[in-house]
Amino acid sequence: MDIRIRNIVKDFGRTAALEGVSLDIASGELVALLGPSGSGKTTLLRIIAGLDVPNGGQVFFGDEDASHTPVQHRKVGFVFQQYALFRHMTVLENIGFGLKVRDGATRPSAAEIRRRSLELLDLVQLQGLERRYPGQLSGGQRQRVALARALAVEPRVLLLDEPFGALDAKVRKDLRRWLRAIHERTGHTTVFVTHDQDEALELADRVAVLNKGRIEQVGTPDAIYDRPETPFVFRFIGESHAVSVQVREGKVWLAGQPILMAAGGIAEGPAELHLRPQDVEFAAHAADALPARILSVRRSGPTRRAEIRLSDVEAVFEIDAPAALTVRPGEERPVRILRGRVFPAA
Amino acid sequence: MSAERPQASAAVRSRPATEDPPALKGLLIALAVFFLASFLVLPLVVVFVEAFRKGAEGYLAALREEDALAAIRLTLTVAAIAVPVNVVFGIAAAWCIAKYEFKGKSFLVSLIDLPFSVSPVVAGLVYVLLFGAHGLLGPTVRSWGWEIVFAVPGIVLATVFVTLPFVARELIPLMEEQGTTDEEAALSLGAGGLKTFLRVTLPNIKWGLLYGVLLCNARAMGEFGAVSVISGHIRGLTNTMPLQVEVLYNEYDAVGAFTIASLLALLALVTLALKALLEWRYADEIAGTHRR
Repeated sequence: MDIRIRNIVKDFGRTAALEGVSLDIASGELVALLGPSGSGKTTLLRIIAGLDVPNGGQVFFGDEDASHTPVQHRKVGFVFQQYALFRHMTVLENIGFGLKVRDGATRPSAAEIRRRSLELLDLVQLQGLERRYPGQLSGGQRQRVALARALAVEPRVLLLDEPFGALDAKVRKDLRRWLRAIHERTGHTTVFVTHDQDEALELADRVAVLNKGRIEQVGTPDAIYDRPETPFVFRFIGESHAVSVQVREGKVWLAGQPILMAAGGIAEGPAELHLRPQDVEFAAHAADALPARILSVRRSGPTRRAEIRLSDVEAVFEIDAPAALTVRPGEERPVRILRGRVFPAA
Repeated sequence: MSAERPQASAAVRSRPATEDPPALKGLLIALAVFFLASFLVLPLVVVFVEAFRKGAEGYLAALREEDALAAIRLTLTVAAIAVPVNVVFGIAAAWCIAKYEFKGKSFLVSLIDLPFSVSPVVAGLVYVLLFGAHGLLGPTVRSWGWEIVFAVPGIVLATVFVTLPFVARELIPLMEEQGTTDEEAALSLGAGGLKTFLRVTLPNIKWGLLYGVLLCNARAMGEFGAVSVISGHIRGLTNTMPLQVEVLYNEYDAVGAFTIASLLALLALVTLALKALLEWRYADEIAGTHRR
């Protein structure tokens, strides 16, 4: 089932949560809504589900305008951040709840409900735990039960709100891979909310980056990471630093030196250059390089990170230091900017 | 290795910092036991001793008294009306306070507490003034043929007023703490409003609700002040158990008075036992501090 979101506007009293959001999600796609807290990503997810009512705009499920369909009838599977399992019911009763509350003719028989619940329990790899209560499960297990419960109603779309937010790092990584596998097996159109960029980039087919109630960019993880379209996306995804530069004669100038030969169509005048740690390297010679001083060196995973200050413009940022190079705090070392993204000055 | 170890200070504390000296501890315990015995246990014992002064026959005879039976019946009737009314109001009020945001919410919460801070006598008096012969609504209600003051409806009204906060107060913090995600989950799974309430909300609050009902019932049966003002003390007709105790005592029928008092005391003990049981078994679900 494909979802089309058209111009959704939502405000809570005086504060605007969403300011005209549109998004197309293809059938079977796995899409992440990524953004900092307060960016409106959860609100958007709840509006798709019908848990919140927008002030304007429409949500289409296929060709059907679902904007005014109440949540009970939208046929969505919603997985809550804190699981929201019914604690007075066993795991099996939780999973079967959606089938059990159906009206008369559409309700499967008790045996059928049990069979399907057990099948889903298998799917989420919790065989043998059907008689447990939610209180007797670990966080990761509860999350799986919540997912099985949502899948039991045969939803048209699966919506997950920060699905791994409350779990520790190790469990989170396992569940991520597992969710991807489940998605591939069941083929549900899936939308999930996260503030964790690694999660979004690793799991999703496409990522929508939200900021202050607007979508900044929608694209594949590669597009989002390699070709950020706005300064916000550049800053939010991966590590980055910004320096003030000048655009003149189609080139980018920093401290009186042309550092990049193409300004990428940015208008003449002041601009901002955004850099990732990999975009700057230590130069062998001072010629054509920017003088810099090393402030500190620290270990970061497989590489070493050097914090440097450009002497001419008082800009501090971090760059990767190759293993072969000896760098010490206090040293003067010229650096060269290899690439970067120029955005008009804010 | 250093040969010198720091000398143990002479004034080493031999007990944890928060522990009091043994003498003080003993004194405090003795004080507590003394007060408990003289103000709680002794009176309770006296009630039963006095009730059985003329033996078991005297006790049973006092119970078989026509007016005594009428008083017991009336008290049960009043509780049977006031408690369900309270449950409905309590759930409705707690639901709307815990699950919705609106202006004047904190005012409503304080308003619910009003019966706790108003003297019960005032509560009774209010209804007398409202529905009495010369009251604001009295003549109107009378013209419909209803008797409220000095009759059962007035007693029920006064009891409902006095017991109003019990269930609501128990449920508000519990429901606020539980939030609305369980209900949202049920709705998203296709359950309607009523099914969501019966299968999700109610099971989540059942122990807190039972606790509130217990306290409410105890108060409904034991209320004296408000009921005394509005009942008119008509023997066999508008005397509840607490009022009957007073009437009998004023007539120097000590055995009769204490027999009925013993029933009230028994009710208190049973309530206390059930309350303790609930608190012990379901403390976390009653206190509303619990969330998975």
